[in-house]
Amino acid sequence: MVGLKRISGGSSRETYSFDLEWSEGGEKRTRPMIGRRDPTGGLLKSDREREFKVIDAVHRAGLKVPEPLYLELDASVMDRPFFIMHRAAGQTGMGAFPAAEPESTRAKVTDDFLGELARLQSLDYRECGLEILGAPENLEAPARIQAAHWTEIYDRDRMGEYYPILDAAFAWLKANPVVSDRIVIVHGDFRSGNYLYDQNGIIAMLDWEMAHLGDPMEDLGWASMMFWGRDEFAGGLMEREAFYRLYEAKTGRRVDRDRLFFYQVLGNAKMAVICLTGIRDFVERRTSDAVMPFLELLLPALFDDLAKQLQLV
Amino acid sequence: MLRPTLNELISGMQRTIIEALMPELTSPYAQGQAMSAIAMLAHAAAALEAAPAYDAAEIKDLRATFAALKRLGDKHLPKKGGLRAALTRATRASAKTPPDRRAMEESMSAFAIAVALGLCDDRVARQIRGYIHRNLERSRNLLGGTLPSA
Repeated sequence: MVGLKRISGGSSRETYSFDLEWSEGGEKRTRPMIGRRDPTGGLLKSDREREFKVIDAVHRAGLKVPEPLYLELDASVMDRPFFIMHRAAGQTGMGAFPAAEPESTRAKVTDDFLGELARLQSLDYRECGLEILGAPENLEAPARIQAAHWTEIYDRDRMGEYYPILDAAFAWLKANPVVSDRIVIVHGDFRSGNYLYDQNGIIAMLDWEMAHLGDPMEDLGWASMMFWGRDEFAGGLMEREAFYRLYEAKTGRRVDRDRLFFYQVLGNAKMAVICLTGIRDFVERRTSDAVMPFLELLLPALFDDLAKQLQLV
Repeated sequence: MLRPTLNELISGMQRTIIEALMPELTSPYAQGQAMSAIAMLAHAAAALEAAPAYDAAEIKDLRATFAALKRLGDKHLPKKGGLRAALTRATRASAKTPPDRRAMEESMSAFAIAVALGLCDDRVARQIRGYIHRNLERSRNLLGGTLPSA
């Protein structure tokens, strides 16, 4: 193992880059690798075995993801569980697709982004062996399950504080559930900033730790939130209405505006809760990651969007 | 005033990180963490100055909003949903010395929920929307409108 170094990104786990060198048939071989180890604290409390199995399943189905190679659940090996995957080439960003990139790259990335989403949503989760993610019992369940899940985390991590806009958002989500048209694999964090790309398009979609089964509008709603790009371009990729039309062309399915809106409200509330989780873990000393306190600075933009969505201003 | 002031201590720590620690750090991850720490110290120094005024304005606005709701009278509040009790609690919390801000915010949450669910009449909703608008503006002034790509 050579060149081991910790890298930033994928904030829900400690991420390490290294090259693996070995000899095979008298020849020296090298392979670039990424190791993802459970954190002591941070943005999310997620199950690395689920994440590994999801990446493995979608990789076998031919989606653009880093090849998963090894999962170690025994914490005695390296203090905490970890997994290893191939290190794909390419670059990434933190949020909106960089405005400085050439138009041709933006167009290819956009096409791949929605193409990968369409392919993900076309998979049969049973054929992929992903019943382990817990299939919702009916088409009404996904909205209810997600709203309840993030409400629960909010109540856990709000540290006794009241956030009127967030309280209103979760009450609204509970009172206005939507009904899905089918159950698909949901990435859970499908957005600009979570892929590796080059001038030829997307190389790999990353960060599958929030994957679950649910409504296809959830990933589309998350990807097109204002938060990931403050202008009319969804995720910095494409003007929103054109983005929705391209999604419809790729999937052959209509964008349901009511469900999309529900999942955009949920997305803003969920992102705010993820920030609160990171802040709490920093304050309560479960993580020393200096990025965590900055999450507080993201809250005004999220609350702004929620207040407009819920007509609170 | 005690010297060094908190601001002087914070800016001194920033210099320590920049001049003493950063040159010794070889990994990009550690350098990134140090840069984040420096930026957060800068934010903390600014917030130290701005936070008391933010808190005072917040409490004053909550008090004024609940006083305005009280003046509107119970007839504008639905009997169900607990808003009348929330207003009573808020009025009591705002009369305390010092005012119980958390209790006032808890009551504000109850009103914000009612507005989002369309359970308030227009006059009540106007008061709540006015408060939320001003609250968001104060928060943006204190924390900025940072986005993840920034």
